[in-house]
Amino acid sequence: MIGRAVANEFAKMRGLRVAAVAGTLIACTAGLSLLTAVTAPAFADPAGERSWEPLLASMALAVPLASPVLLAVLASRQVDIEHRGGGWLLSQTSGITPGRLCRIKFAALGCVVSAATALQSLLLIGAGVLLGVAAPVPVGAWAGYTASVAVVNLVLLALHVLVSARVDNQLVGLGLGVLGSVLAATATGLPPWLAHTFPWGYYALATAADYRDGALVMLAPDHSAVAALGAAGAALFLLATALFDRRED
Amino acid sequence: MGAVRAEFLKVKRSLSWVVVLLLPVALVLVGTVNTVVSGERPEEGWHTLWLRSVVLYGLFPLTVGIGVLASLVWRVEHRGGNWNALMGGPTPALRIVAAKAAVVSALAAAMQGVMLAAVVLAGKLVFALPGLPPGRYVLISAVIAAACVPVAVLQSGLSMLMRSFAAPVAMAFLGAAGAIVLLMLGAGAAASALPYALVGRATQLGTGTFADTGALTLGGAASIAGAAALLTGVLIAASALLLDRTDARA
Repeated sequence: MIGRAVANEFAKMRGLRVAAVAGTLIACTAGLSLLTAVTAPAFADPAGERSWEPLLASMALAVPLASPVLLAVLASRQVDIEHRGGGWLLSQTSGITPGRLCRIKFAALGCVVSAATALQSLLLIGAGVLLGVAAPVPVGAWAGYTASVAVVNLVLLALHVLVSARVDNQLVGLGLGVLGSVLAATATGLPPWLAHTFPWGYYALATAADYRDGALVMLAPDHSAVAALGAAGAALFLLATALFDRRED
Repeated sequence: MGAVRAEFLKVKRSLSWVVVLLLPVALVLVGTVNTVVSGERPEEGWHTLWLRSVVLYGLFPLTVGIGVLASLVWRVEHRGGNWNALMGGPTPALRIVAAKAAVVSALAAAMQGVMLAAVVLAGKLVFALPGLPPGRYVLISAVIAAACVPVAVLQSGLSMLMRSFAAPVAMAFLGAAGAIVLLMLGAGAAASALPYALVGRATQLGTGTFADTGALTLGGAASIAGAAALLTGVLIAASALLLDRTDARA
């Protein structure tokens, strides 16, 4: 039953052009990262030693900029059709409660978002190899960064599924996405304690390479904060969707 | 004028004011907090504060915000039987398109007003900057408001064609990303043909960032306003033509 319901969501995605939105996400993050990296001094200088740091650092710039608003778009599109087509009631009569439908939508979109997050990192690694970065790929740093971004993305996706389902007017969800992008893009400049206080700040906490005193260095980000965010997000999402089932409208 | 008045009535009770107020204030707040936590004073006074809030604002929040506002203005027409009422009504397509675009442009201009006021407030209250910001920022704000018009028309057209609230917003973001690439490459001429890049250039006027030279000339401001007027005419005509060919739907 659950499997079929998830498959049903994937069928809806085709009409909603979710692939195009996910493609936009990948193109924006990978494209902007690459552009930032190749214009960085380390890459622009033909005699300079090309390394992985500029690529990782530019990811930390493009990912927070593009992800929040496009995650809001993905969630809004997948949820809004139920508002317009009377889908909540239809699902309920076939045994899928609104809260459960939200969890199913999250599961389906979560697959797309996770795949897109992995793909944008792989694209950038591929570009690095093609551009002639001689050093071996720092697999640990890339894997840690990608996994952290995936967790933050999934938490924000869950938030947007909830907001889009709860508030009929999609202005709220998308407005939140735009503000989230602004916050996320500027969170790198904030002190870490401040970045811990809102979910969009966790992109900054996952940053794997950045400029410190003018020099580009690898950082050793503490992934436990992101893991805690993921656990808290999962618990809150389950609680909120359970409450959806008790609502009458 | 009746159509424009009707549109303003529709927007009066919507949530549009939330976007108009919150988005610019949030950006000035972010710029201010960033300056405060970095422990530095705005060295060049108003210029630093303007640079930190308005240039970031023009990179994508402004464009995406206009996209959200355009979707909000068209949302009501895509609901219930309103689309067929619109198609069956006596209002010509050109007037509908122009009225919707006028409302979105007015909201975008209001957003720029809020931006200017928020910069003044932050400069006075947080950094205790002397005097008022130079008059050039009023001129730049007017140019930004003018450059917002073609984006408003384009987004209004996209929201007219698409029933989804979010899809046109995604396209606005894609357009903004494309504009960043164009401006990073320093393609100033190409920027005049793409509304998203034109508004980006307008927000960078006089700052010396991206493709801007740093000097605010009357010619530069006029060329942006002229390009905006030209794009607006073309896009309004195209939207009206498209709406004219659309029919009632079941």
